[in-house]
Amino acid sequence: MIEVNEFQELTYQERIDSLRETKQRITQEKQQIIGSMDHDDWGLILPPPDRREIVQTMSASGMPITDALIAGFKVKPNHPSGGFFGPKAVGENFRALLEIHPVYIDPVSSLAGGYMANFMSYRKPHWNPDFDFGFLHVDQKRYQLGTGIGAAQHFCHDLSIGFELGWGGLLEKIRHYHDVQQAEEKDPEERTQKMDFYDGLESVVLGMQDWIRRTSEEARKSSLSEANPQRRENLEAIADINTRLVNEPPKTFREACQWMNWYQMAARMYNGNGALGRMDTLLQPYYQRDIDLGILDDEEAIFHIACFLVRNTDYIQLGGPDENGSDTTNHLSFLILEAAHRLRIPANVGVCVGDHTNPDLLRRGVEIMFEDKCGVPKFLGIDRTTEGFMKNGYEAELARTRAYSGCHWSAIPGREYTLNDCVKVNFGRVFEVALKEMMADTTIEPSIARLYELYAKHLQHAVDTIAKGLDYHLEHYHQVFPELFLDLLCYGPIEKGLDASHGGVEFYNLCVDGSALATVADSFAALEQRVEKEKRMSWQEIAQHLENNWKGPDGEKARLMMKGISRYGSGNSPADGWALKLSQLFTDLVKEKPTPKGYNMIPGLFSWANTIPMGKHLGATPNGRRAGEPISHGANPDPGYRKDGAPTAMAVAIASVQPAYGNTAPMQIELDPGITKDEGGVDHVADLIKTHFDLGGTQINLNIMDAAQVLEAHKDPSKYPDLVVRVTGFSAYFASLSPEFRQLVVNRILTEG
Amino acid sequence: MDGVVFSIQRFSIHDGPGIRTTVFFKGCTLHCFWCHNPEGIRPKPDIQFFPERCIACNECVKACTHGATTLVNGIRVYDRSKCIVCGKCVETCYSGARILTGKHMTVDDVMSEVMQDRAFYETSGGGITLSGGEPIMQPDFARAVLERSKAEGISTAIETAGNVPWEFEERVLPFTDLIMMDIKHMDSAKHRWATGVPNERVLSTARHFAMTDKPIIFRIPVIPTVNDTVEEVGAIGSYIRDLIELRNQNGGDGDHTISLELLPFHKLAGDKYRSLDMDYRAKDLKIPTKAHMAELAEAAKTHQIEVRSR
Repeated sequence: MIEVNEFQELTYQERIDSLRETKQRITQEKQQIIGSMDHDDWGLILPPPDRREIVQTMSASGMPITDALIAGFKVKPNHPSGGFFGPKAVGENFRALLEIHPVYIDPVSSLAGGYMANFMSYRKPHWNPDFDFGFLHVDQKRYQLGTGIGAAQHFCHDLSIGFELGWGGLLEKIRHYHDVQQAEEKDPEERTQKMDFYDGLESVVLGMQDWIRRTSEEARKSSLSEANPQRRENLEAIADINTRLVNEPPKTFREACQWMNWYQMAARMYNGNGALGRMDTLLQPYYQRDIDLGILDDEEAIFHIACFLVRNTDYIQLGGPDENGSDTTNHLSFLILEAAHRLRIPANVGVCVGDHTNPDLLRRGVEIMFEDKCGVPKFLGIDRTTEGFMKNGYEAELARTRAYSGCHWSAIPGREYTLNDCVKVNFGRVFEVALKEMMADTTIEPSIARLYELYAKHLQHAVDTIAKGLDYHLEHYHQVFPELFLDLLCYGPIEKGLDASHGGVEFYNLCVDGSALATVADSFAALEQRVEKEKRMSWQEIAQHLENNWKGPDGEKARLMMKGISRYGSGNSPADGWALKLSQLFTDLVKEKPTPKGYNMIPGLFSWANTIPMGKHLGATPNGRRAGEPISHGANPDPGYRKDGAPTAMAVAIASVQPAYGNTAPMQIELDPGITKDEGGVDHVADLIKTHFDLGGTQINLNIMDAAQVLEAHKDPSKYPDLVVRVTGFSAYFASLSPEFRQLVVNRILTEG
Repeated sequence: MDGVVFSIQRFSIHDGPGIRTTVFFKGCTLHCFWCHNPEGIRPKPDIQFFPERCIACNECVKACTHGATTLVNGIRVYDRSKCIVCGKCVETCYSGARILTGKHMTVDDVMSEVMQDRAFYETSGGGITLSGGEPIMQPDFARAVLERSKAEGISTAIETAGNVPWEFEERVLPFTDLIMMDIKHMDSAKHRWATGVPNERVLSTARHFAMTDKPIIFRIPVIPTVNDTVEEVGAIGSYIRDLIELRNQNGGDGDHTISLELLPFHKLAGDKYRSLDMDYRAKDLKIPTKAHMAELAEAAKTHQIEVRSR
C-alpha cells in the first residue's frame, strides 16, 4: 500500500503501483458483490455502494452473468414486451444512462473516467419478440448452436476517425448526413428508419459530451480543494483536457489517450465492445509530435498508457504489416508492452510474430511472460491469418489491414462486420445426434463409416441452420439493438444512414466457429479402435454405457478403456487423423457456399468460455468424457494427450487442424518450463511460438506459470489476489474465476489427464 | 534393426541445446542408488505397477497365464519372479495401473516420433538426444538411429556414462555431433560404492573422447553423500582441465569445446521406484540448495573450465 502524505510527490512507477492496488481493491470488492466472474475483467468499476443494484443478466457474448447496475435508473421501453428497440429508443436510453452515470476520477491517474454499468444488462427482453425466428428453433436447439442472433459488436471500429473529428466533429458529421439522407432518400419508410438512426447516433454523442463535461467540472472542483501540489496539477490538467475534449479532437499524446479512454469505456458500456486494434500505429503521430516538441518522454508515455490499460482490457495488436507489407512495429509497440509489464494486471495485448515482423517484439513479449507470469502478452501468427483471409478472395493489401481486436479474432477496422466469436457449432452435440440416430435404426449394422456419414449430414444441417440465422440477424438486428457506438467510428454507417449490421460497412465476413474438436476426434478414434477393430465391446454395449453415463458394474472399466487410446495430440495417431478429417469437413461445409442471402462465412475453431456450458448439456461421449463435463477447449487436445505433455506435440497437432481462412484456431498452452529466463527459457519459448506459426498455427494463448503455485491458489484463491492467468482468449484474476473454471485451468497444467 | 526404448520425450530442453527429442534406451551398466530413471536400469522391458490407479476390475488376473498375477483372498497379488513380462495384463489394464516400460522399437518407429518435431529443431538449433539407461549398451541400434538422423539433417547428441567398451562408443561417434558424459567421482572405490562399478573404464572413455574433436559436455549429478563437496567437485574439475589440455596438445581447441555442467539431485523418481518394487535408497537425501550448487560451480571454475549449473 502506498501511503501518500499531503505534499508528497510520487514517481510514475509509484503512481502505477497505486493504480494496481486500487484495481485490486476494486476487484476484491467485485468478487464479494458479484461473485465469480468467468469472463474478461472489463475494467468495470462498481457503482458507489448507495447506487448499486445486483441483477442476473447475459453478457455481450451470450453467457449468463451476475452484474451490478446503477440503482434507480430505469430505461424507457417503447414496446409492449417492456423492451426498448430500434436506434432512436436505444440511443435515447443510452444517453439517459450516460447522463446519470457517476463521475469517476482517480487523482493518481492522468486519465479521467471509469465505467460502472453494462447497458446490455438493461436489454430485457434481449430480442424484439416481433421478429420471430421460431422457424429455426428446432434445429438450433437440436444442435445446441450459438447462433449469433442478437449478438452485439465483435467487429472493430477505426479510432483514427474519432481522433480526427472529436465528439463535436462527429456530431456535425451526423447532422450533415442526416440532412443529406433526408433530402436524398426517396423511400418514405427507409427515410424514417434513417432519421431514427441519426437520432440514435446523435443521442449517443450528446450523452458522451455530457459525461465528459460533468467529469471536467468535477475535476476542476476537486482541484480547488486538493492540497497535494502534484495531484492538484493533475486534476487541473484533467479539467483542462476534458473541457476541450467535449468538442475538440485530441492534439497531444495524453489527450489522445484520454479520448481513447472515453470511447473505449463507453463502447464497452454500450454493448461490451473490447476491440481496439493497432494501438501502436494509432497513437504514433501523437507520440512523435509530443516527442518532437519536447513535451513528452518515454516514462510519461508509458504512464499514460498504463492509466489507459488499467481502465480498459481491450484487445490490442502490436506490430504486424501495413497494407504494403512493411512492419509497423515502432517504439510505441515496446512502450505499450512495457506499460502492461509495469501494471501486471489482466490485459489483452497481442504481439505479432511473422517473417517480416520485428523479432525483438516476440522476444520482449516472452521475457515479460517469464518475469510477470500473467499470461500477457499473447501471440499472433499474423502471416498465416493474412494469407488465410486472402483465400476468401481479398487482395493482400486489404488482408494485411485486418487487425487483432478480440479474444481470438481480427477485423478490418471500420470496414468489416464479422460477429466474431458469437457463432458456435458444438461438434459434440452434432456427434451425439448422429450416434443416437444410428443406434435407433435397427435396420442397419452400426459402423464407423455409417456414423461418419450421419455426422457429416448433421453437421451440414447445423451449418445451414447457422447460415439462415445469420441472414435473420443481419435483416433485423438494426431494429433491435443497433451498433450505434461502433457505427460512429466506421466508414459508411453515418454516410449511408445504415447500421453496420445492416449494410453500413463494406465487408461482411461472418465468423462460424467449431468447438469440441478433440472430444469428437477422440470419440471417433475410440469407437474405431475398441469397438470396430478390437471388438472389446459391441456398439450396443457402448451405447448403453453412454446412456448410463458410465455407471453400472463395468462402466468405469469401459470408460477408461475408451479413454485409454492414443488421443488427438499424441502424434501420428488415428485420433490425430480424425481431428484433421473433422476440421477439414467443417471447413469445407462452411466454405462450400455463402449464406442464402450471399454473405461470406469464415470457419474457425474456438470455444473460449463456452466449454463449460456446452458440456453441461451434452451426454457422455465415447472418448471417456462423463455427461455434463466440459467439452474440449477450442482446437486443443484434451489434457493428458501425451504422457510427456510435450508442447511441441500440441503445437504440431493444432497447426495441422487449422481451417486457414483468416480466422483462427488458437493454441492454448500452459508451460512450467522448469527453466528460468536466464537459462535459455526465452529462446525455447520464442522458438516454440515461432515454429508453431511456421507450421500453420494462427494464434497462441500462453501461460508461463509456476504450476505448484497455481495448484496452491486453486485451494485458496484469496491467498493469491494478484495472480493473473490467461484463461482463454482473455486474461483474468485467478481469484475472480468460479471453482469450475479454475479447475479447467488446473486440468490443463496436469499432464496426466 | 530394433532396440529397447522406455520413453521418447519431445520438447526436451534439458538434454542439449535447443528444443530436442530425447530417446531413452533401456538398460544400464551402472546402478547408481539415486538413479532418476530406475525404469531404465534393467535391459529388458519391465512392468510398472501404480496401485493408486487400480480400479480392481481383475482383468489382469484373467489375462495372466503365468501365475504372476493372482487373486489371494480377493486381493490382487503380483509376483515379479513369475512374470515373463509378456504384457498381456497391460493390454487389459485401462486404468493405467500397469504400464509396460520398455518396448522393442525399430529405427523407423523411433524416427516416426523424432521427425514430428523436425521444424522445432531447425528453428531452435536442437535435435535428437540418445539417453537412458546407457544408450551405448545398444551400440548398433544407437548407431542406426543416429545415422538415420544425420541423413535427415537432424543434429545428434548422446548422453553416456562411459562405462562401456570404447569400441562401442567408437561405433556411434561418426554420427554424433555432441557428447554429454557423466563423471560421478574421481575416487574409484567411492565410485563403486555409489554406482556399483569402479571408475577406470569411465575415465578411460573420457580420455578417448578428449582425443576426438567432438564437443563434450561433462556432467556431474550432484548427489549428497556421494560428491557434493567442494573437494570432490574440484577434483572432477581438475580432471576435466587435464582433458582440455589433452585435446589442446592434440591440436584441438579444448577450452572452447569441453565444458562442465552440474545437475542437482532431485526426488521426482520416488514413485517410479515403488512401481518397480525397487528400494529407493536416496529417499532421505536432501536436495542441494542453489547457493551450494553455486559454490560447487565456483570450485570447478577455479580450474579454468566453463561451468554451468542449474
